[in-house]
Amino acid sequence: MKQHSLWRDSWGRLYQDKWAILALAIVVVYSLTALLSFMGIIASDWAREVGGSNLPPSADHWFGTDIFGRDVLQKVIRGTRVAMSVGLATSLIAIPVGVVLGALAGYFGGWIDDLITWLYTTFSSIPNIMLLISITMILGKGLFAVYVALGATSWVTLCRLIRGEVMKHKEREYVQAASAIGGGHMRKLFRHILPNVTHIIIINTSLQFQVAIKSEVILSYLGLGVQGEPSWGTMIDDAKLELSRGVWWQLAGATLAMFIIVLAFNILGDALRDSLDPKLKGKT
Amino acid sequence: MKFASLCLIFALLVSGCSKEQNFDERELHLISLEKIFGFDPIHVSDRYSGNENGKVYEGLFEFHPLKRPYELVPNLAESLPTVSEDGLTYVFKLKKGVLFHDSPCFKDGIGRELIADDVIFSLKRLADPKLSAKGWWVLDGKVAGLNEWREKHAALESSNYEEEISGLKKIDSHSFQVTLTKPFPQFQYSLAMPYTFIVAKEAVTHFGKEFLNHPVGTGPFHLEKFEQGNQIIYTKNPKFREKFYPAEGAEGDDKLGLLADAGKRIPLVDRVVVDILPETQTQWLNFQKGKADLLELKSNYERAMDKKNEVHQELKSKGIRLFTDPMLDVTFFAFNYENPILKDRRVRQAMSLAYDRAEANKLFYNNSAFEAQSVIPPGLNGYRKEFKNPYTKLDLSQARKLLADAGYPNGKGLPEITVQTRSETVARQQIEHFAKCMEKIGIKVQAGMNTWPELIKKVTTKQHQLYTMAWGADYPDAENFLGLVFCPNQSPGSNGANYCNPDFDALFRQATILQDSPERTAFYEKMNEMVAIDVPWVFGFHRTEVNVTQAWLKNFKHMEFNHTQVQYLGVDLEVKKELSKKF
Repeated sequence: MKQHSLWRDSWGRLYQDKWAILALAIVVVYSLTALLSFMGIIASDWAREVGGSNLPPSADHWFGTDIFGRDVLQKVIRGTRVAMSVGLATSLIAIPVGVVLGALAGYFGGWIDDLITWLYTTFSSIPNIMLLISITMILGKGLFAVYVALGATSWVTLCRLIRGEVMKHKEREYVQAASAIGGGHMRKLFRHILPNVTHIIIINTSLQFQVAIKSEVILSYLGLGVQGEPSWGTMIDDAKLELSRGVWWQLAGATLAMFIIVLAFNILGDALRDSLDPKLKGKT
Repeated sequence: MKFASLCLIFALLVSGCSKEQNFDERELHLISLEKIFGFDPIHVSDRYSGNENGKVYEGLFEFHPLKRPYELVPNLAESLPTVSEDGLTYVFKLKKGVLFHDSPCFKDGIGRELIADDVIFSLKRLADPKLSAKGWWVLDGKVAGLNEWREKHAALESSNYEEEISGLKKIDSHSFQVTLTKPFPQFQYSLAMPYTFIVAKEAVTHFGKEFLNHPVGTGPFHLEKFEQGNQIIYTKNPKFREKFYPAEGAEGDDKLGLLADAGKRIPLVDRVVVDILPETQTQWLNFQKGKADLLELKSNYERAMDKKNEVHQELKSKGIRLFTDPMLDVTFFAFNYENPILKDRRVRQAMSLAYDRAEANKLFYNNSAFEAQSVIPPGLNGYRKEFKNPYTKLDLSQARKLLADAGYPNGKGLPEITVQTRSETVARQQIEHFAKCMEKIGIKVQAGMNTWPELIKKVTTKQHQLYTMAWGADYPDAENFLGLVFCPNQSPGSNGANYCNPDFDALFRQATILQDSPERTAFYEKMNEMVAIDVPWVFGFHRTEVNVTQAWLKNFKHMEFNHTQVQYLGVDLEVKKELSKKF
């Protein structure tokens, strides 16, 4: 019999799920779009006037033009960059914080656990949107503030999950074996336990990503997010005034773009959970 | 079964939403476009709070609801004041038999008569250092002895209202005298502003901190319900004195049916319901459904009118009328003179020359606004139609040249400039447009979005490079606009540009003590044109006010100073009943 690694098994399971592969493809396309836009290869001249004010969709401008005669499609693409970068930056902040704190709390227990549990329960008791608004108020508005605000609010779930998982693992035989051969705390925690809970991080990230995207849209809609650059949130904000005049394309463009990526992340998150943690399959 | 009960719930929900309209009661339905600060006149600095306060409180004077140009007429005062020859002493007489609303703050809960002491109390309250009234500026430095009283009490534990002030003297129960420190002909206008509305001492003492929510005035309406951020309901004051709808108006008012109610006792309605709806879309939907009788449109005029500024046919068929009237206001992007880069006149002029006003007018005002040449709007003395500011035209090549002369060829060397504005969709779009214009001469501009208090704080503490705002007249005199660039009014005063021009200031001091005269007008014109060249602001627009009214609303006429307007409005119930089928 041929030997497979666990990761390869998981990939095999994921590969068989057609929806998951489609979702993954969408995520890849969005990421590429964001990357290309970031490098200035596409949608770099979104601010250019390409036609009259509020032109409906046509062959030249698939999503029509906005109030200043800018191409809405270009704005949607540019908005992708903002959305994806927010998702990524938030994850980069939230994962290390959540993982380290969760692992320390779960492994050491005692007062460390008390302290960290107190910290995350305090954070989660504050309504998220309020916390986001106050953080952006303190840091000033802009993309950086959004990154920090979302990063600071979204580590809690991951921290809680990792804590529980580490608690479970620290009594396992392989950890005891590591102790027996003289492994230190840090070695046991980071070399032995953490690799065994990585799947939780992966699943959580894919779900967190879309929450971050949605939050950015809400913040920008409220005027607290990205400044001087198109974002799906500001586009929806513009659209609320335009709708009554029958100008629907800006709203359609931004929500469609958001809908697709959020849906893709949700499907992918589910599929990842099924494939990485087969015991949970079918459970919700 | 489940399905049936779901249907039932749904049916109940739907029926709960459609409230039967009442066609028997004369009830006005209005919309406040912003949240209301509360009911303490001395702090009412915005128009929307002013409108609400004006339903409950009254001032000594008001502006005639129909006559134009605006004419000051007595309200609580019996007549206009008699002014001494040196222009310093004003004697006021109050109407007799004016009663305060019934309130638990009075003995037996019954409102007493208004007397001269109430006026003096209200004016002292405006000056009370403990209250930091937003309206203190209308009296600051103007009434003899008042500043001294204020300064003295700032250091004390509490303010003593019993202490006599030389400039505020009671003559008898219904007359009093005000002595000014220097002639200031605009003084009587300030007695028509919400800041100087008359309050009762008993109410202030009785309600303490809660006074803000328990107004006790002499006005035509009682406050019945006040839900901040949601709804305000007023009922007619049954003890309101005999006050009548005017018999005369401006030319043509007769034909418009504005005099049909002449001689009738006001207020003309029994109840006023004001919904507080800051979202433009919600405002419009409410109006469209006939749930509001009157709506001021702040943006997105295309919803109501076509390119020729006429009301859409679909709305016309419902009897909806459209009013577009020039306002006494000016919009601007003010530079902060404390910023060394923006202090350079050439940079300011260049930015002004690069701003495409024609496009902004088209995008944001449906081409209905007038491009501002300087600070004074049309309709006031001091505005000269022929005057064209050489820096308000669109001239990119001259702008680039000026910028190069200032040492920033094509904007090189200039940092990114932030324009502070309100966190609101159209405000953001206006900055986006401004930024687009500035980019053409190489200046990078970004928007700083703020809540209203944040914006005010940034401007008053000079933490801005540019900010944009609009200024609406407090009273119909150009002094009110020229004061925005008068050096002593620097931040935290109303001169947010911190503009200082000694020549201008000297003229301002001379002109503002003169009574309305050709001589004063000449001064105003000179000052207006002097400021224009200095470009302390990128001058924006004098806007028009766009209102839509339902067919059943009677007596609506645009009023710049409309705090007292509601008492003159009426509802034609027959028309309402008939037309309501169409909604």
